[in-house]
Amino acid sequence: METDSSHRTRDDTALVEPPEAFVDISKRNFLRAAGLLVAGSMLPQLCAQQEAASTPGSGHKIIVVIIGGVRRAETFAPQGVQNIPHLTRDLLPDALFFPHARNEGVTAHFNAIASILTGNWQRVDDWGKLAPTTPTLFEQFRKDLGAHRSETWMVASNKALTSQIGASSSAQYGEAYGANVVFPKQLMLMAVEEALRGGRTASMADRAKVQAELESALEGSNYEGLGWNVFDASDQLDPRVQGSIKSAIASFVRNDGPTSGDELTFYMTREIMRKFAPSVLTVAFSDVEAAHFGSFAMHLAGIRTIDRLAWQLWQEVQQNPEYRGKTTMFILPEFGRDPDGSSTNGFFNHRANEESTRDSWMMALGAAVDKPQVIERPIRHVDLCPTFAGLLGCRPIDAQGVRLGEFHA
Amino acid sequence: MPEIPADLPIELQHAIADGLLERLPLTFLPFVQQQLREWDFLFPNEHKSVQRLLLYVASLTPAQSAALFSDVVQLEEKMGVRTWQFSTTEQTIQNSSLLARSPYFQQWRQAVQAVFNAADAYAIRTQPNAAATRNRLVLLDIPGHLPVERATVWDRWQGIGFAQPVRIPDAARTSGSLAFLLLGEPDHDAASSTGVLRASQQHAEAAPAQAWIIDAGDSLAQAALRRLAGSTAKPAPTLLGYKELDAYRQKFSQQMNSMRKDLADADAVYDRLRSVDVRPWCPPEVAEPSVREFVRSLFLSGNGAVIFGNSFVEWGASEALRRARPALLVAQFDVRPRPKPFTGVAVFDNPDQVNPLPSVDDPQGSSLDAQMLALYIWLAATRYEEYQHATVCVCLADSIAEAYVIAPPEFALTRSADPLPLESLRHQLSAWLA
Repeated sequence: METDSSHRTRDDTALVEPPEAFVDISKRNFLRAAGLLVAGSMLPQLCAQQEAASTPGSGHKIIVVIIGGVRRAETFAPQGVQNIPHLTRDLLPDALFFPHARNEGVTAHFNAIASILTGNWQRVDDWGKLAPTTPTLFEQFRKDLGAHRSETWMVASNKALTSQIGASSSAQYGEAYGANVVFPKQLMLMAVEEALRGGRTASMADRAKVQAELESALEGSNYEGLGWNVFDASDQLDPRVQGSIKSAIASFVRNDGPTSGDELTFYMTREIMRKFAPSVLTVAFSDVEAAHFGSFAMHLAGIRTIDRLAWQLWQEVQQNPEYRGKTTMFILPEFGRDPDGSSTNGFFNHRANEESTRDSWMMALGAAVDKPQVIERPIRHVDLCPTFAGLLGCRPIDAQGVRLGEFHA
Repeated sequence: MPEIPADLPIELQHAIADGLLERLPLTFLPFVQQQLREWDFLFPNEHKSVQRLLLYVASLTPAQSAALFSDVVQLEEKMGVRTWQFSTTEQTIQNSSLLARSPYFQQWRQAVQAVFNAADAYAIRTQPNAAATRNRLVLLDIPGHLPVERATVWDRWQGIGFAQPVRIPDAARTSGSLAFLLLGEPDHDAASSTGVLRASQQHAEAAPAQAWIIDAGDSLAQAALRRLAGSTAKPAPTLLGYKELDAYRQKFSQQMNSMRKDLADADAVYDRLRSVDVRPWCPPEVAEPSVREFVRSLFLSGNGAVIFGNSFVEWGASEALRRARPALLVAQFDVRPRPKPFTGVAVFDNPDQVNPLPSVDDPQGSSLDAQMLALYIWLAATRYEEYQHATVCVCLADSIAEAYVIAPPEFALTRSADPLPLESLRHQLSAWLA
């Protein structure tokens, strides 16, 4: 008897193919399309200068580090801990660790991150053409506590995201209360693209010229092509933001170290922390998504990179007076990845309805952690937004998730 | 009423003319219509599979077929499929996205599975000999330039087979161990010197789709092409070499990039690439329509097949196993370059085009990839009934002169601490296939 007919496996590989499987051969096309989705109004410079004098609400700051799809097998499993030395040795001893943080919604990037940020399982377009349907943490924080836009930032490497991640389609909230959203990796893509188009590929072999190419892409005719949404869209980036980005680019290019998209995301995040010190900062890394191309070695390298960058980010929190002692940092994957032997090609993808894909973990560090411990009780990703909102001092709103009792502002 | 392809089996043509497709749920139509339209590009195994489903449905009364599909139809109602922009003529990215994000998606998959289980059961009742199996071989190679750790290389296989030291003769050191096993020794006419390919060709059920050779580089593919050019043995195997397909891949990418500025959505890209005439880019061994379209489908369905040779091998092998169910599947991995500085973010671009720095091989990373992907090929095989009993899998790790062997009790080879001469392994594998 056949155990797997053509239809059933086609069902796995084509009929229900999630976008990212196709994206690996045409991702940039979609990015270009996504870049056109930026919307907003004016007044960028005014907004940038109206930075809040003090932290609104409880005074607590939240940093959420989301790291793409990684399996337990390659991280918090005996054979995986070698890939995460900083998480296990440097951070875990001080952390509140949940070994089971579950994604019970759509295990695709936009919906996964949107579910974490809204407290409701989101089932919108995987390409980010539609905003989440319920208010994001950014909107709740800004509307409830009157926080300025400069207090809420999303910095993401993940190319499946669009600026729609910054605000929901909820009639009572929406773009007016949305976050600043930047995609550093898109800047890299644009620079590479323009260098190619201009016959300047030699520039990509010379760090000084790479910097010029990146700055040129940043200052190009219309930054909307980057898909960002910063202090309300206009045809020019706010000068202070532009200064921060250039500073980040300089650090990225001149550090003489690794040059992945997540590295650039880290530098931009650090600059934003130093210049704007937002109360709500979400960082989405995605080097691990090299798995979609089938390189297990590059996927593991991505995990090691994120392990180091999460640790460096925590060091920045501890060294930066705007954050030290009043910040809680959460680190979690969006989901796992599919198990070896699945009809969805194992670690390449993240769409199997399996524990390997749904059951992940979460680590929390900082002010809201009373004492380091491991909480075996499974939690859900939708429980996080109510928890974040509670720590920030927002009033609860209806959500599928519930606030986690282990955290105290 | 869709146009009925003239080359469909006559009983299928009659069933369709009698309104068979109207009895299928909406979510079955894209797949079925696409399979019928692309009938000429399907492998014999796929023909059987489509026929099995459709003739089963045709054998039912309207009330019985309504009962068969009732769960699927109810779920479609709950999902609101009729309100979607859902293509019923072909599988689209939009369709997939809509289905996958529905809260009823998993239930829908189970309901679809139940329909196919019923069709399979019907096939067994009506054609009890259809599932007869023959001996099969999955032969994999991590070549010598990809270093592996003897102590850990087989850990991921979790003891499903055993590690067997092999003795590689000088003749195999130049041609490569896999070529030595597959193609034999060209200067020897004795039957004992021929490779497993010849054994598979001599089988009564030999057919092009029954033997596949997939190469992440070009050494095995070139050796096979040379040998086939001087041979009268038929049928020729299906041969896919990543480097042999360079022109196809490059042109394919160029087509993709040229569409970038006109892109409206994912399906626009997909449609264009599905209709691009790829024949001018196909090497002679990929000229056969089903193979040519197999490669197109491979490149379109992602999984890194257009980016990395080793991913091409794994995904190509997995798809060949799923679609063609070959008796012999041979796959060789190779080295890939390291990502160049500042190009990792644009990984699917040609890195040589983006960055003029010379490419640097990544043997360690490639080896790690190959170790995982070799296992994945075997795991892909085990999903199908045909490979669950009379199948031998041998994965060679040349750098440590060792093979990992998974075999049923009937296979003559037993574990030994003494190195097994490669000639003996070749002989035993040939005997198994023949």
